[in-house]
Amino acid sequence: MSSRISRRQFMVRGTGAMAGLITAMLSVPAVGFLLSPLWAATKEIWVDVQGGSIDDIPEGLPTARIAAVPLGSGPPAPPVNRVVYVTKYQGKLYAFSNICTHMQCDVHWEPSLDLFECPCHGGLYAITGRNVGGPPPQPLPQWVHRVYTGADGKQYLRIANRLEEQI
Amino acid sequence: MSDRRLGTEVPGAEAPGSNGATPPEERGDFIGLFPEPVLGPFRRSWAWFDDRTGISGLLYKGLYEAVPRQGGWAYTLGSATLVVIIVQFFTGIFLLLDYVPSVTQAYSSLLYLRTNDLFGDWMRGIHLWGAYILMLLIGAHALRTFISASYKKPRELNWISGVMLFFLVLAMAITGAMLPWDQASYWTAVVVTNIPHYLPVIGNGLRTLWRGGDFVGPVTLTRTFALHIWVLPALLLGLIGGHLYLLRRHGEFGSWVNYRTTTADPGREVAERVRHAEPPYPTRGADPQYSAPSQTVDFFPDQLFKDTLVSLVLVVFIFVMGLISGAPLDGPANAATLTYVPTPEWFYLPLDQLLVFFPTALVGFGVFVVVGIGATLMLALPFIDRNPERHPIRRPDVLIPAFFLIGTVIYLAMLGVNRLYNL
Repeated sequence: MSSRISRRQFMVRGTGAMAGLITAMLSVPAVGFLLSPLWAATKEIWVDVQGGSIDDIPEGLPTARIAAVPLGSGPPAPPVNRVVYVTKYQGKLYAFSNICTHMQCDVHWEPSLDLFECPCHGGLYAITGRNVGGPPPQPLPQWVHRVYTGADGKQYLRIANRLEEQI
Repeated sequence: MSDRRLGTEVPGAEAPGSNGATPPEERGDFIGLFPEPVLGPFRRSWAWFDDRTGISGLLYKGLYEAVPRQGGWAYTLGSATLVVIIVQFFTGIFLLLDYVPSVTQAYSSLLYLRTNDLFGDWMRGIHLWGAYILMLLIGAHALRTFISASYKKPRELNWISGVMLFFLVLAMAITGAMLPWDQASYWTAVVVTNIPHYLPVIGNGLRTLWRGGDFVGPVTLTRTFALHIWVLPALLLGLIGGHLYLLRRHGEFGSWVNYRTTTADPGREVAERVRHAEPPYPTRGADPQYSAPSQTVDFFPDQLFKDTLVSLVLVVFIFVMGLISGAPLDGPANAATLTYVPTPEWFYLPLDQLLVFFPTALVGFGVFVVVGIGATLMLALPFIDRNPERHPIRRPDVLIPAFFLIGTVIYLAMLGVNRLYNL
């Protein structure tokens, strides 16, 4: 047998190679397009927590405030109102999100339990955010936040558009 | 060879293999090959078209397929499923005329549809109730197939493609529920797009891909929209084609009632039946007992009449429920709520209830391992059940565990109802 391939073999292999090339050409932009959110950078944007100064928030009672948080990624969209549970407890300040770490439902402070409660699957968190009952696998996350003093001498809270821990 | 191919047209073949089938000369009255000369403008046009497309041959093949004489009503569920899927495509296309897949406009486009379009809300109602009935129909169709053991050799792939269609329809339902961008839909999107991140290694990436970022946002809606109106329906149509092809290849016969023997010598009767079977029977390598059915009728009009009647009743029910109950529209999406409880549609209640049982480190196990085992059991049923028997009485080894599992799923749904609605 010679090492030369027959006319038929050339066409069989050539057809396969060309079809493979077409598939590969289609895949490159398709896969890149599909996966682009993975390496798209999220712009960090800081916003004020609404509702005025945090000075009057009582010790030991998480208080829900609203912040209009921009996504910082993706196509232009208006900022989304989100809950910031401003919590003062044993001399520390927490800026909890109300996003449950189980399925990301909306958590609320339940005064009768003295716990954060999630209505979806019964997740419970202590006032420090520690997950103390139900299915949540992680503590209640805080918004990346900082306290600043306003021109009136009172303390205000700002948050960034991301959480301190990945949930 | 020739008598196998022509089936009932061979003299003397009527006795075992083709009881009740229409004689060929009568079929020719409806459609058939036209002998020369063809008279009249309509017949001539039809003959011209038919010569070029061969459509009458196709119709003939489609309409005069041999189908079971017994169990015809039980066999209507598959065609009714197809009809309701067509209703879903039809109403879905009309909803597309007004719906805008954008976080700022989706909700208001549906409000517009509700207030400005004649029958706009009815169209949404039909689409929703069509989905509900589709779930029930697929469940009933699968249950019928399971009880009658129709998934056994050589119909393993009929079953597997059917299970895959069921999963696709579930995916259609969940992606469709995310589109209105009202409260219910927004929170469904949050919970559903969060589930993939419990997968090891690729989980976080998958969630980011679906959401288009860490949080649910505009990209979540457009990607889910693309899935719901193009990707999943394209897969659905392809699989339906395959499912129907396999149905025609192996015949509708699966149940024990279609293979009963009546004479004193069953072996001889079965051999006689196989010899006279119409194509595509018998399938190579299949158990002769279950290779050729005992009694057949033509698909048209016997079976098609039953199919159409059942479909009509269901479509009327869907239209009436779509009109009087309609599809709900909550308040607009609000991420800053404290007490909103997203409730899944009833067919997702068992899965939602599973989420309650698996705490902390076990969440991923509950979501993927338990559900994955269930899905694998369904897909692999034809290979797990090696019992050659078809009669339910003689298959307790499969039916008892299966009914235990089905009972568990229903019990989970009831627990879910109790948890979500009697808080």
